[in-house]
Amino acid sequence: MRTLKVDWPACRARGLCFEVLPEVVRLDDWGYPVVEGPVTDDLLGSAREAVRMCPQLALRLVKG
Amino acid sequence: MTSVVTLGRGPLLLAGSGPELGEHRRRWGPLARFSATELVARCRALDLRGRGGAGFPLADKLGAVARGRGRPVVVVNLSEGEPASHKDVTLARTSPHLLLDGAVATARAVGARQVHLVTGPQGVAELEQAVGQREERLRFTFHRAADLFVAGQSAAVLELVAGRPNLPVTTWQPSAHSGLRGRPTLLSNAETFAVAGVLATAGPEAVLRHGTPLEPGTTLLSLDGDGPPATRQVVEVAHGTRWGAVLPPSRLDAPVLLGGYHGTWAPAGALHDLPVSRRALAGAGLTLGAGVVLPSDGRCAVRRTAELLDYLASQSARRSGPCLNGLPALASAFREVVDGRPRLDEVRRLAGRVDGRGACAHPDGTARLVRSLLVACPDAVDGHVEGRCCR
Repeated sequence: MRTLKVDWPACRARGLCFEVLPEVVRLDDWGYPVVEGPVTDDLLGSAREAVRMCPQLALRLVKG
Repeated sequence: MTSVVTLGRGPLLLAGSGPELGEHRRRWGPLARFSATELVARCRALDLRGRGGAGFPLADKLGAVARGRGRPVVVVNLSEGEPASHKDVTLARTSPHLLLDGAVATARAVGARQVHLVTGPQGVAELEQAVGQREERLRFTFHRAADLFVAGQSAAVLELVAGRPNLPVTTWQPSAHSGLRGRPTLLSNAETFAVAGVLATAGPEAVLRHGTPLEPGTTLLSLDGDGPPATRQVVEVAHGTRWGAVLPPSRLDAPVLLGGYHGTWAPAGALHDLPVSRRALAGAGLTLGAGVVLPSDGRCAVRRTAELLDYLASQSARRSGPCLNGLPALASAFREVVDGRPRLDEVRRLAGRVDGRGACAHPDGTARLVRSLLVACPDAVDGHVEGRCCR
């Protein structure tokens, strides 16, 4: 089981994480990600892509 | 045992003697040397927890630092970014050598050669004087924190010590594993180090003389810390002391904000039956935080909370989107409640929008404050929504 963690000072609400991983990420009133729940094994590929795609490198997959 | 002494005097940590090392040694005795294992055991026996607000067991932190890779460093945090907190500066003026003894004992135990002392923007002359008298072969370095609410947050403190802006950053590992320049870093609040200083000089018996079997020792409280200077007090009380011995009954009859601006409102009258105890307060859904206690000053708790929310929104480091956007939105929705508009659901929704979504606990603490008011003072809040101030 992994969790998506956001580096908040780095995040600029570009929203690519939501496009790549809508199963886990929603966007709030201002376009910043809301991480809802853990990343299950079937979503691991998409989650890794979201981490790679983030233009601010503001996402990490952490254990737990 | 109950002991409430105002401003700079107290039964243990505030029984200090100022910056004279000779006088301090006569009072507390020589500084013993401990291995990391011995010091961890002593801290564990007293269940010594960090006094900066989070209450993390010092034994765990010490153990992690001692096991870490690379030469550790010690960081003493007395920056007190919260305007209502004065306990650490009071401690550093009254018993500077006691907190230095704690820093030296822990530094020696984990093999650190460098101790960083982080004060508020004004510095503490007595502490600088006391450092000048120390004879240990350690490097003491002073740093002054920015005048900002979040400047005292642990990651922000480490940024300052590393020579970067004194603002919170995202940390991916506990600083005990990888803190300052990747070194194992023992960062704790000044009061925590002072208790360790008692352990390393007079010994655990001196701590055990106060408090309860489950919570030995004392704790420092800042009372009325954001009121007029003449009303501010720092007191040292034994754990287990009844709140009635700390505050007059009339003030316990009104809501009390415990734990400062990131704290929790205790309902009117609730503290009559509770002791000064982190455990007992946690059982009642309350937090003592870093010991900031704000009883009612005659203003209604709802209006006071609205003012605090405005202040906290203004104190965002402005680098995290949810904090930068969410706190002003939360403060403004709450203002509408105060002015009699039915926006409580929006307040709850926005509290959920900021909670857990920042590099530090600033958004979480702000959400905690407003939620605790809704729990502690529902009638007063409803009164405002219906267009009546409770006062």
